[in-house]
Amino acid sequence: MVAMVQVPAAVPATPDTGAVAPRSYLAEVRTRFLHNRAGMIAVSALVLLAVAALVAPLLSPYDPLIGNATRRLLPIGSAGHPLGTDEQGRDMLTRLLYGGRLSLLTGMLPVIVSTVIGTVIGATAGYLGGPVGAVLMRTMDMLYAFPAIMLAIAISASLGPGVTNSVLAISMVFIAPISRVAEAATRRVIFLEYIEAARLSGASTACILRSQVLPNIFNPIFVYASGLIGLSIVIASGLSFLGMGARPPVPEWGFMLNSLRGAIYVQPWVAALPGFLIFVTSMSCNMMSDALRDALDIKDA
Amino acid sequence: MTLMLLRRLGLAIPTLLGVSVVIFLLMSVLPGDPLAGLLAQDATAADRAALTHSLGLDAPLAVRYVRWLGDVLHGDFGYSPYRKRDVSELLGTAFANTVRLAVAAAALGIGTGVTLGVLAAVMRGRVIDRLVSMLAMTGISIPSYWIAILLIIIFSATLKWLPAGGIPSANSGGFLDYVQHVAMPAFASAFVSIGVTARMTRASLLETYSMDFVDLLRAKGLRSWQVLWHVAKTAASPVLTVAGLQVGFLLGGSVLVETIFSWPGLGQLIFQAIAARDFKVLQAGVLVVAVTFVLMNLLVDVLQLLIDPRLRKVA
Repeated sequence: MVAMVQVPAAVPATPDTGAVAPRSYLAEVRTRFLHNRAGMIAVSALVLLAVAALVAPLLSPYDPLIGNATRRLLPIGSAGHPLGTDEQGRDMLTRLLYGGRLSLLTGMLPVIVSTVIGTVIGATAGYLGGPVGAVLMRTMDMLYAFPAIMLAIAISASLGPGVTNSVLAISMVFIAPISRVAEAATRRVIFLEYIEAARLSGASTACILRSQVLPNIFNPIFVYASGLIGLSIVIASGLSFLGMGARPPVPEWGFMLNSLRGAIYVQPWVAALPGFLIFVTSMSCNMMSDALRDALDIKDA
Repeated sequence: MTLMLLRRLGLAIPTLLGVSVVIFLLMSVLPGDPLAGLLAQDATAADRAALTHSLGLDAPLAVRYVRWLGDVLHGDFGYSPYRKRDVSELLGTAFANTVRLAVAAAALGIGTGVTLGVLAAVMRGRVIDRLVSMLAMTGISIPSYWIAILLIIIFSATLKWLPAGGIPSANSGGFLDYVQHVAMPAFASAFVSIGVTARMTRASLLETYSMDFVDLLRAKGLRSWQVLWHVAKTAASPVLTVAGLQVGFLLGGSVLVETIFSWPGLGQLIFQAIAARDFKVLQAGVLVVAVTFVLMNLLVDVLQLLIDPRLRKVA
C-alpha cells in the first residue's frame, strides 16, 4: 500500500498508466505470498478444515447428532472411532468435522459484516472530516472503552443466546477498530492530487469514495480485517463455550469443549480436541494474515 | 505539559459518559423480566404496576438514565434481589479477587513478554528469535479457555499437583496456598499478554535499532549493552501502551478463565448475573470493567507524556 500511495503523485486518476503497472504489482504480491512458507501452510490448513467441514457426510459414516449410549467416552484410537466418542456416545471425529461448519462460519461472518460497515463509517468520517467525522469517530471511541471479549459478552447478553446474535455481537465489536483503520487510511489519501482532480471534475462524494478512495484504502483494511478472523473465531467459540452462541444439538467447537468439561477426568485428551481445532484455525488465520501483510508490504494497519 | 495532561483528563470525561450511555442502553434492551425475583408468586397486575412505579421503571428512558447515573456517581449501584446483597458490596469483593489474579497474570505476562521480546530482538534471525516468534504467534492465537482446560488436564487431572479451581483461603493458606491456586488461572490469562507484549517489544526494538542515532552510538564506541539501553528507552513507548492495555484487560476479569477455575472475580460475577438476569449486577459489573479500562488507558497516556518528551511537542 505504501508503494501505491506514494506513487500516484505523477499518476492521473486512471490506474492503468505507466508509472505503476497494476498487474505487475499484483503479480509481485502474489509471488511474495506464494513464497511465504508459513503462510502457505496456514492457507492449506484452513482450506483442508473448510473442505473437510463441507464434505463431512462423505468422510464419516456416523450421524453427528445421534450417539450410542453403550459407547460413551471412548478413548482416542478406539476401533471405529479414531478420535473417540463424546459424553453421549457420538463419534468425535464426525462431530468435529460437522462442528467446523458453524465454527468457521461464526468466525468469518462477523469480520465480513464489520469490515463492510466499518469501512463505510471510517471512509466517510475520514473523507468528510469536520464535525460529521468527529461525531462518527468519537462514537466509535465509546466502543473502544470496553475490552473486546467483555463487549461481545455484554452485547450477546442483551440480544439473547443464539448463533445470529453472537455473529451480530462480534460484528459490533469489530466495527470500531476497522472504522479507525479505514479513517486513518482515508486521511492519508484524500490530499493526493487525483482525489482533488476527481473533486474538481464534479464527482459526488459518494462517487469519489467509491471509485477513488476505496481502491486506495482497501489493502490496509484488508490486512487488518484478516488479522481479526482468528480473534473472531476465538471469541465466537468462547461465547458458545459460555452457552451464549451456538446451542445444541448442532455441533460447534466451543460448545463441544464446554460440554466435554465433565469428561476431563475420564477422557482428558478427547475433551481437549475441540479446543485444539479452535486453536489451529485461529493460528492459521493469524499466520495467513501475517503473510498477507508481508506480501502487501503494509506496516501501519 | 500540565495543560496537555489536563486536556487528556478532560477527554476522558466524555468517553466515560459515553460508556455509561452504551451500558445503560444495552441493559435496557436486555430480555427478561426485571421484576423477576422481586414479586411474590401470587402477585396481581396491580402489585406489579405498583412495584414498577416504586422502582421508577415506568419513567422515560432518559429520566431513568439520569437517575441511574446520579445513583452510580454517589456509589449506589442498587440491590441485587437474586443475591440479596448490595451490588456495591458484591462488586467490591469480586473486584478484589480479580485484582489478586490480575497482579499475578500481569507480572507473568508482561515480564515474560518483555524479556522474550528483548531476547528475540538482540538475537535477531537466530534460533531464539524464531522460537520466540512462534511462541508469540501461539500466544496471540490460542484461546485462553483452552489453555485453562489443558492446564487442568495436565496439572490437576493427571499430575494432581494443583487444585482445579477456587481461590486461596484468606487466612490459613499463606503464600504457597496463593501460588498453588493462582498459578493456573494466571498462566491461562497471561499467555495472550506474553504473545502480544513479546511481539511488540521485538518490533519496537528492531525499528529503533534501524534509526540513525544507533549508528552514532556505535561509532562513538559504546558497548552493545549500552546501545541496548539507549534503544530500549526510545522503544519503550509502544511497549508501554500494549502493556497498559493488557493490564486493562486483566483487571476487567476474564469471564472465561474465572468461570473455568471458579475464581469469584468480576468476570464470574458478570457471567452469573447474565445467567440469572440479575441486571443491576450486570450493569454495574460491566460499568466497573469499562471504567477500569478507560482509566488504565488514561494512565498509560499520562505515563507516555511523562517519559517521552517527543509527544509533548507534537500534540
